[in-house]
Order: sequence, then C-alpha cells, then structure tokens
Amino acid sequence: MIRTLRILAANPLSLLGLTLVILITLAAIFAPWIAPFPTHNGAVVDFLNNNRPPSSHNWMGTDLVGRDIFSRILFAYQISLTLGVVVLAIAVPIGTMIGLLAGYIGGWLEMVLMRIVDVFLSIPPLVLAIAMMGVLEPTLTNAMLAVTAMWWPWYARLVYSIARGEREEGYVLAAEVIGAGAGHIAFREILPNCLPAIITKMTLDMGFVIIIASSLSFLGLGVQPPTADLGSMVAEGARYLPDSWWLTVFPGLAILVAVFGFNLLGDGLRDVLGVDE
Amino acid sequence: MSGFLRLLLNRLGISLIVLVGVSMLIFAIARIIPGDPARIALGPNANAEQIAKLRAEMHLDASLPVQYGHFVVDVLRGDLGTSLYTNRPVTQDIAQFLPATLELVFLAGFIMVAVGLPLGILAAHYRGRWQDHLVRVIALLTVSAPAFVWAVILMLLFAFYLPLFPIAGRISDIYDIERTTGFLTIDTLLAGNWTAFGSAVHHLILPAIALSLSGIGQAARLTRANMVETYDKPYIEMAQAYGFFPSRIARSYAFKPSLIPSLTIIGLDFAAMLGNAFLVEAVFAWPGLSRYGVAVILRKDLNAIMGTVLIIAITFLIVNIIVDLMIAFLNPRIRYSTRGTS
Amino acid sequence: MSLLHIKDLRLGFKTLAGQVDVLHGIDLDIAAGEKIALVGESGSGKSVTARIVLGLLQETRTARINGTVQFDGQDINSMSARDRATLRGTEMSIIFQDPTSSLNPMFTIGNQFTEVLRRRDPKLSKADSHVRATTLLDEVAIPDPARVLRAYPFQLSGGMNQRVMIAMALANKPKLLLADEPGTALDVSVQAQTLTLMRDMVVQNGTSVLFISHNLGVVREFADRIYVIYRGNIVEDGPTDALFANPQHAYTRALMSAVPRITGVGIPEVPEVSDDFLAPRISHGDAL
Repeated sequence: MIRTLRILAANPLSLLGLTLVILITLAAIFAPWIAPFPTHNGAVVDFLNNNRPPSSHNWMGTDLVGRDIFSRILFAYQISLTLGVVVLAIAVPIGTMIGLLAGYIGGWLEMVLMRIVDVFLSIPPLVLAIAMMGVLEPTLTNAMLAVTAMWWPWYARLVYSIARGEREEGYVLAAEVIGAGAGHIAFREILPNCLPAIITKMTLDMGFVIIIASSLSFLGLGVQPPTADLGSMVAEGARYLPDSWWLTVFPGLAILVAVFGFNLLGDGLRDVLGVDE
Repeated sequence: MSGFLRLLLNRLGISLIVLVGVSMLIFAIARIIPGDPARIALGPNANAEQIAKLRAEMHLDASLPVQYGHFVVDVLRGDLGTSLYTNRPVTQDIAQFLPATLELVFLAGFIMVAVGLPLGILAAHYRGRWQDHLVRVIALLTVSAPAFVWAVILMLLFAFYLPLFPIAGRISDIYDIERTTGFLTIDTLLAGNWTAFGSAVHHLILPAIALSLSGIGQAARLTRANMVETYDKPYIEMAQAYGFFPSRIARSYAFKPSLIPSLTIIGLDFAAMLGNAFLVEAVFAWPGLSRYGVAVILRKDLNAIMGTVLIIAITFLIVNIIVDLMIAFLNPRIRYSTRGTS
Repeated sequence: MSLLHIKDLRLGFKTLAGQVDVLHGIDLDIAAGEKIALVGESGSGKSVTARIVLGLLQETRTARINGTVQFDGQDINSMSARDRATLRGTEMSIIFQDPTSSLNPMFTIGNQFTEVLRRRDPKLSKADSHVRATTLLDEVAIPDPARVLRAYPFQLSGGMNQRVMIAMALANKPKLLLADEPGTALDVSVQAQTLTLMRDMVVQNGTSVLFISHNLGVVREFADRIYVIYRGNIVEDGPTDALFANPQHAYTRALMSAVPRITGVGIPEVPEVSDDFLAPRISHGDAL
C-alpha cells in the first residue's frame, strides 16, 4: 500500500491526479465550512447580485438568481462524489459476485449469467440510465438506482474474464486437489487476483459515474433544482450563452477537473498494479 | 462452410438471444413505472372512461407474461404503438428522427477512427517519449468530460467567439430539400444542390466533433496499449532487424495486428455515441432521435420510450455484428479457419 | 582484413538503480566466408552482441555502448541510425529462435518476401519478386513454393517457416548472417535438418556467419571457430577442433561436460558458479 503510493507519486501525472482527487474530496466534505456562501446550496435568491461575471467577491460569478457559483460547485461535488461512492459500493460487490460465480463455477450458470450481462451491455450505458429515469421520478436516490443497474454488468464481465482464466491455473487446481471448497477457492484464491483490476477500474469509474450522473441531470433526469448539481448548472446556463458564459463554463470545467483527477490516478494505478488495458 | 459464414450465423444467433433479453429488459423497465401508466400518459384531466379505454389498448389488465407476449407480437408486426406525445405511430416518429442521429453518429465515429487511431500509432511509435506523454494527457482530457461539456465549449469557441460554424440545426432555413433518405447530406446530393450539401456538412461538423472527442481519447489509448504490446513481438524485432523503415513498421507491421483487439472496444465506443448523442443533440438543437427521446421521457410516453430504446439497442447490436465481421475479415486466422472458431 | 571486427566492446544499461554492465570488453573477429559461433548460457551477453552488430541496440536510449564494431571497414557505432538501417536486411541479416513468431501473422509469406527483396531493390515489382521468391524457396527445398507464398505463417509447419526464414535471410546475398539460437523452438530432428540446410546454403553463398547458441553440441557441427562467452567476457576461443580437443578454461569444460548426447536437446546444465569461470581468457590462435 505505502509502496504502491510511493511508486505512484514518482510519476508527476499520477501525483497530479492524486492531488486533485484529495483536494476535491476535501472540498466536498468541508463544503459547508469553506464555501464563501454556504447558504447558496439551496433555494436562495439575491436579485441584487444576479448574473454577475467573475469578480473578487464571486470568484466564478453568480447565477441567474444571484447565487455564488463557486459555492454551488463545492456543494455539487458532494452530490457527485456521494453518488459515485454509493453506486460503486453497490454495483462492484454485485458484479464481482456474479462474475466469480460465472467464471469459476461455469456450466449452465455461466451461460445464463453471462447472457444476462450481455443483454445489459448491449444497450449503451447512458441510454439505459435515461430510459430508467424516464419511468422513475427524477430524484437523487433514483438516479443512484438507475446508474447502479447499468453499472454492475461491467464488473461481472471484468471479473468473469479473469476468473475464467484463473480457473485453469495450477494454484487453483492444486487447491482443488487438496480438497478446498468452492467458496474458499473463489474468494480466497481467485478473488485476490482480480483485485488489482477491480481497484483500477473503480478509480477510473468514479470519474465515469460522475460523467453519467451529470449527464442525467443535464437532461433534467437527475437531481432536481434547487439542489446544486454540475450537470443541471450547465443545462441552465447553456441558454444564456455566450453572454453569461460563466454559468456554464465553470460547472463544465468542474466536471472536467474532477474526472481528469480520477482518470490520472486510475491510469497511474493501472501501470503500478500491472493491469491490462 | 467457410469460417466466415459460420461466424456470421453464430453472431446472428447470439444477437437474437440478446435481443430477446433486451426486449424483456425494456418491458421490465416500462413496468417499474410507479402508478398507472395509462393515467400518467393521459394526464390529470382524463376521465375514468378514457383511462379504461387506454388500459385496454395497452393490455394493462392482463398478467405480465401476457402483456409481454402482446408487446413481442406487436414489435414483430412492426407496431411500436402510438406516441402520446406526437399522436403518431412510434415507428413513423423514429423513421423521421433516426436518420439525423445516425448522420451525426456516423460522422463522429469516422472522426474518432480517423483521429484516434493515428494518435495511438504516434504514441506507440514514440513510446516513453514526450509525444507519448502528450497523447496520453490529451486522451485522458478528452475522456474526462461528458459530451455536453465539450459541446458547450466548442460552441462557445467556434460558433460564438470565432463564428466559424452555425450554432444550431441541421441545415440553413433557406433550403427546402425533399426528404428521401432523411440523411440531409445524401438528400441534398440527390437533389443536386451543392450549396445545400455544403450547408448540411457545415452544420454537422461541430456537433460531430463534440460527440467524437471522448471516443478519440479511448481509441488512441487503446491503440497505443495494443501496439506497445505488439512491439514486443518477435516479428517486430525481425522487421527492425531487416531494416524496414520505423514509420512503415508503425503504420503497417505493428498496427495491423494491434487493430484486431482494438476494434471490439472501438465498436463499443461507437455504440456509446448513440447514448452521448442525447447530450450533443440537446446542446445544438439537433432534431434527432435523442431529442425525441428526451421529449417523450419528460412526458412519460411509454410506447415512445420503449420504441426508442429498442431501436437504439438494435442499432447497437448491428454495429457489433459488423465489427465482428470486420475483425473476421481482417484477421487471416479467422478468414482461413475451416472450423470457424475465433 | 576481417569482415566483422569487434574490439573492446562494452555495453551497459542505464536503470533507475544505476548502470548495469552487460559486456566487459569483447574482442571478436569474423573473416569473409567464415562461420563463427558465440557460445554461452542465457544472460551471458551473446544475444546483445548480435543486436549491437545489427545496430538495433544503438536505438535503445538506455543502452550505453563503447568500443569498436567494424563491419566491412565501417564503424557501426559511429554511423548514423539511417546508415545502420541501410545495412540491415541487405549486407547483414538475422534468423531468430522461433521462425513462426518471427513472421508477421497478418501478412502472407509472399508479401513479407517482397518487403525483404525490396530492401535491396526498392523498385522491384510484385510479379518479379514473386518469381525471385519462388526460386529462392525452391533452393531451400520447399515443395510447391507458389502455395507457400500465398500462405500465412500460421498455416505452415515450424520447419517450413524455418526454411522460409533461411531463404529470406539469404535472399539479398548478405555478407554476414547472424543466427540467434536458430530453430531452438523446433523439434530436434527438424532443427537438425534446417541447420544442415543453413550450413549448405551459407557455404554455397560464401556468407560469413555469427552463430549464437547455448549448445556446444550444435555448434560443433557448424562452426569453423568458437568463442565461449561468460558473464560478458570471452573466456576461451579457437578453431572448433582445437577447442574440443583441448578445452582449457574451466567454464568451457563445464559447458562441454554438459553437452547432451543427442544434438540440440534442451539447455545443458552448467554448475551454478565457480570461481574458476572468472579465470582470464584463453586463446587457441587463429585457424586461418
């Protein structure tokens, strides 16, 4: 762990990624304390200061009802990161379990499970989430549900492909010979070999979940106003281009910076942990 | 039977199974809607009689398996129901809006391949040097923002600040082109109207670039990774040992074997554009299937939602079959295998 | 004057932990038409020597190369990368360990042959190259050359691919052929056949050969002279007969006692390390 971090920090790009991820996480956690206008997360109006360009007072300007955009971005990071953590915390164990079952046990179970996975993977991720949000009410919980439902199959396929390869490896056969149970082999022997790939994918996917979630709210299918969300902020501001450019550019860049951080970190981890692309 | 034909039948068979699964999934999604779909569809002002009529039309009183059966039979008859939003058959709506989306996605896919692959080749050729690092950073940047952010940034830069491209729409209003295929670039050519064709292409460029950017990054990274692996193969050292030009080794000897593993993922990225088109079409007011999809979703128009998702899934499956066949065609191992195993 | 003259060749690789030295001053000469073997265990530095002669290692940024490598009177180390590349595939060529993986799986044998022939004759037409390739494949006793030219490497047997490699390597009448453990990946009998073929072909063409092997048994039937390399130093050299009749160096003797009875079987077992192996170089003088 320490060694991994040290090798990671030796690469300037990975170090940048790690730094961005840490800064954004801290900013999200401590948003209520560090935001210049902590109340601007909600339904606050200040029409005297509305639609102002960036200034020393409002670093990223104010929106149409006078809320500080920088403050709202910090709060929006809270939503994005929470969503990412929750989605992965549910989708990864489910996908891993299914992938392990299909990959190690094989037979008809493998056939059925992987066909189900194929079905999910044959609809573009965003379209599936959009369709689910189309029939559900647009709330944060439902957005998490929709994104989770489209996310687990990717882990199932990842773990499946590794597990299927490991099934024939000498150490697995050896464990079988000495009479180890299927559960022991799957979780104690095969799973550890999947972990580097899973960890790398999770890091990269934090960025990807942020992209999908902000895309949903951009289309009006995710977190609803007045709660601050990066996607809906861009959508609201896009109507006032090019004059009020700060309404869209800063939330857009906020997404870019956060996702870029996770991607740099994940990319570095991939190299350090020796995971194939 | 040739390996190629066997592969085609095999892929079609798998796709058919997956398609049945997709239809079940779509049906399931449509049934998790909270409340009465008929009431939601008709709005708060509908009376009990209207609701009962629509429930009967939608077979909502039957058991779920029977409902699914009706759905499948209707789909097989080419009937996706009536859209409550446009009051037209969903198939007719889709036929009207799909070409605009496909036109956008095809150009974006072309840009992805035309820019992404050479970038990947460049990075692999200069692996470990500054060119490689530069491509890596560019590729990571492009995949780090959703398509709508790129759409907004490109629009701001190249439509507003530097007014090089139009802000919205598919073609300038002054042209009245007869819709034959629905693809404006083709219809304008059929009409022999070159300036209209130019206008259609002009409108297409900026949205297509916005849509292609993250795909470019993916394609470049993937190509680089697979090529770097290929560079370790003995046949590359052999090519170097025989003094072949490094650029020729990169473009041909190392690239061709690396293309095959890359193609599958590039096919997936291409298909993902069908989803991202929702975002780009929203920014550029592009009158395509995605805009239709968002409109019907906001109105909880079940038939239209199911039809749209089904069509996208089918397009996705077709793209995947085409990619598999391309791989089979490019890979002599599959082309010349008599057993047809890949 | 010798065709290849190597004097005090040193090689090190720059790593994060500092420089790792691989060659400690190699001297080696090959006369025109002479067949030389460089014998040692894996990691002794024999393969990197071949890659320096070909000018491939010079392109690696971590490699630090010093000393003289003269090919046909020109100094390889001080040449431009472009000039080195010009020599490869024309004046010198190489045969690798595994013929099947040395051929590109995406191109037909015919296509790869054309590429090789165009190294000497860039304007060669496809039809002409086909005719020349057919003749060359005929010379290495390949039946039905036209079919082989249309085939992909994975459609041919390892022995057939090895014959193709030999034909390709000699196609442009190079002055020097490097053979890096040729055919080690093949069956013993196929390896023996193709080695005999290779010997006949180079003798016929008057090609000089630098034959790299870990197996003294294989080398004995092939080489005029032998250099034994251990940990980046030449420890003994001399005419094949003299060296076999009277091996002086402790490492050579260890290698010899490890020679398997049947030609070319497996990797000989050499005692781990012995201080005697580091004893100074012994030279049996020139055969010529």
